[in-house]
Amino acid sequence: MTATVRRWCLVMALAMVAVLIAACGGGQGTGTGTDGGAAATTAPAEGGAEATTAPAGGGETGTGGAALPAECANVSLQYWNPFTGPDGPFMGQIVDRFNQENPNIQVQMTSQAEYYIQLGTAAASNTLPEVAVIHADQVATQAFRNVIRPMDDLVQQLGMTGDDFPEAVWAAGEVNGQRYSIPLDIHPMVMFYNADLLEQAGISSPPTNSAEFAEAAQAVTGNGNNGFMITTGFPVQQIFQMLLHQYGGTEFSDDATQATWNSEAGVKALTLMKELQEQYSQPNLEVDAELNAFKAGTVGIVWNGIWQTTNLTGEGVEFNGMATAVPQMGDQMAVWAGSHQLALTQQANPDPCKDAAAGIFIRYLLDNSVEWARAGQIPASNSVRQSSEFLAIEPQASIAPSVESAFFPPSVPGIGDAFAPLGEAVSAVMAGTTTDVQAALDDAATRANQILEQNRQNYGEAPTGR
Amino acid sequence: MATTVQPRETSAPAVSRRRRLNITPYLFILPHLLVFAVFVGYPFFNGLYISFLQYDYLRPNNTQFIGLQNYTNLFTPGSVQYQVYWSSLGNTVEFVLYSVPFLIVIPLGLALLLNTRIRGSNVFRAIYFAPWALSGAVVALLWWWIFQSQGGLINYYLASWGVTPPRWLSTMPWAWVAIVVCTVWWTSGFNMIILLAALQDIPDYVYEAAAIDGATGVQSFWRITLPLLRPVLIFIVITSIIASFNLFIQPFIMTGGGPAQPGGGGATEPVMVRIYREGFERNLQGSAAAMSFVTALIMIAFSYANFRIFRERT
Repeated sequence: MTATVRRWCLVMALAMVAVLIAACGGGQGTGTGTDGGAAATTAPAEGGAEATTAPAGGGETGTGGAALPAECANVSLQYWNPFTGPDGPFMGQIVDRFNQENPNIQVQMTSQAEYYIQLGTAAASNTLPEVAVIHADQVATQAFRNVIRPMDDLVQQLGMTGDDFPEAVWAAGEVNGQRYSIPLDIHPMVMFYNADLLEQAGISSPPTNSAEFAEAAQAVTGNGNNGFMITTGFPVQQIFQMLLHQYGGTEFSDDATQATWNSEAGVKALTLMKELQEQYSQPNLEVDAELNAFKAGTVGIVWNGIWQTTNLTGEGVEFNGMATAVPQMGDQMAVWAGSHQLALTQQANPDPCKDAAAGIFIRYLLDNSVEWARAGQIPASNSVRQSSEFLAIEPQASIAPSVESAFFPPSVPGIGDAFAPLGEAVSAVMAGTTTDVQAALDDAATRANQILEQNRQNYGEAPTGR
Repeated sequence: MATTVQPRETSAPAVSRRRRLNITPYLFILPHLLVFAVFVGYPFFNGLYISFLQYDYLRPNNTQFIGLQNYTNLFTPGSVQYQVYWSSLGNTVEFVLYSVPFLIVIPLGLALLLNTRIRGSNVFRAIYFAPWALSGAVVALLWWWIFQSQGGLINYYLASWGVTPPRWLSTMPWAWVAIVVCTVWWTSGFNMIILLAALQDIPDYVYEAAAIDGATGVQSFWRITLPLLRPVLIFIVITSIIASFNLFIQPFIMTGGGPAQPGGGGATEPVMVRIYREGFERNLQGSAAAMSFVTALIMIAFSYANFRIFRERT
């Protein structure tokens, strides 16, 4: 009898696994589809990319860009990133091509989930890769936790300066006066809109300011449709930050010791969000509900990260889904954004050959970041963003101007911790568990100040090494 | 093993033990003792030690002995840790109260039904048990899709029957309903299998004798089945409470701990998620260790109370 049970359990388990694999397979299938497309479009870009690579080699050799110092033979590099989604294969192609063009450097790429925990355990066991992608808001924390190390010398050797990057994103890679990372891309908050719905409502172009936004959202709302949708979880904190900056506020004081989001600008921002929710959205939406509703075709406008582009536009939806820069709702333009940055990791015995190879590789990734743009990112490099190749990629090209107004959190360790109370306060107001906007922001600021103080004691003035 | 140990204990008391230590029984438990010492004993004492430190395993030069500071933070109203820790612990206890009754009654009902030896009962047994074989992340994601508000399965059908559906994942108390339903679906099968095995151990002649004496089915259940299931039920109550205390993945994926509360801490954020965040997002591993020990003490108190209550009645 138990044998029968076991057999049935097995059959059931296998059936479920089969269903899951089929579901995953579907996702991967479309993934490979876009890969194929990317590969096809990659080929013509190659020539242009190589042309920009050549000067990086410093004219030392003519073949395949920069060269390693003479005493270095074959160098192998480990390269970690958090690109476990559909963006991973795009990066994989860039790495493959680097390996082909640089036979004496072999880069092996690994994409990891639970990324910073993986990096932490690798650091503890001295098995860190040589090159790692670090998010802009994590650079200071990872620097203080001895995961990444300063790269000022290498940056100088590579002849890189902040001139080629928007100021804010370049500043995000600097901690305590030392450079720890170089920005690869900027991924801003963008506006997705259902062009069909807007057109039916008599709106021919996406809104760019507060008045146009209200007009469009109002026109679409009704008959079971929502003009605008906003949740009670992610990304409401990011939307709040964006509006806060648009109204002229900031999250923290200049020295990052005090939370300042409970300013007049902050109250304005959160009040506006609540109004937008009441007027155009449904209340109490869980995370991702706005995306699912948008995909169902009943929502005019949502604000979310640019990484949702393949999900909400083009073949991801059955209507004319479009993406463009967020509108200016407040007194000035400001856009919430994240940034992937490239960093050298801490090594017990730094190897000059590997460092040189890492420099060549990082330079190559930046110079070829136009291909990375195809994965749905905006290159951080000004020159790449202005290149004709990039300007041909939509919707990235039309979103790109907004990243000039992107802001990033202050470069102090554990800054993400201080955002947690803000996220809770904004969520609580959006969820309706409190209605007093000023009190909620005040309370969050008080708790964030305690966290900032605790972090200063905990992390100290400068990284202490291991 | 038991046969070699038992006679010695009963036949040779204090006298022989004083004369010379017999190491044979210790050799028998040695393999497990070693594993236990390495994987439970050492982490336990190391964790206790860490809980007195300001500690981050990646910044050894920063380690500081701070005495009971991590513990006093937990008991000082207004500290960074106080509100979020106790709110999350309260959430976990709430979940234990909501989930454990269902995790006993529903599996018991299923086991009773399966024990009637209907045709295809093996098939049903496999079906009811199957969810337990899935990983928590899969189960939580599955139920997220069922409960989500935009075309989720449940709200779709509720709406088509003219019922205005609640927002299961982002309003209270519906978030707990969703999490409890998910948990019961996921873990009932395990309790059911154990109860079924226990039911099958009750000899048929007891029921036959009762039937001859004119007992009804209901009477047999209350007077025969339940009393004879007692030891197994106690085991299931205790393991279910401990398992429910360890709630982590369902709210982690389904609600993200939300809906948010104004004072801080989500309304469905369980204590295990809070400890995880303290240790691996804030990198305050000393404070996380202190939270773990306070939580463990509370769980031990709960379990001890359970044992006492059931032992007194036996």
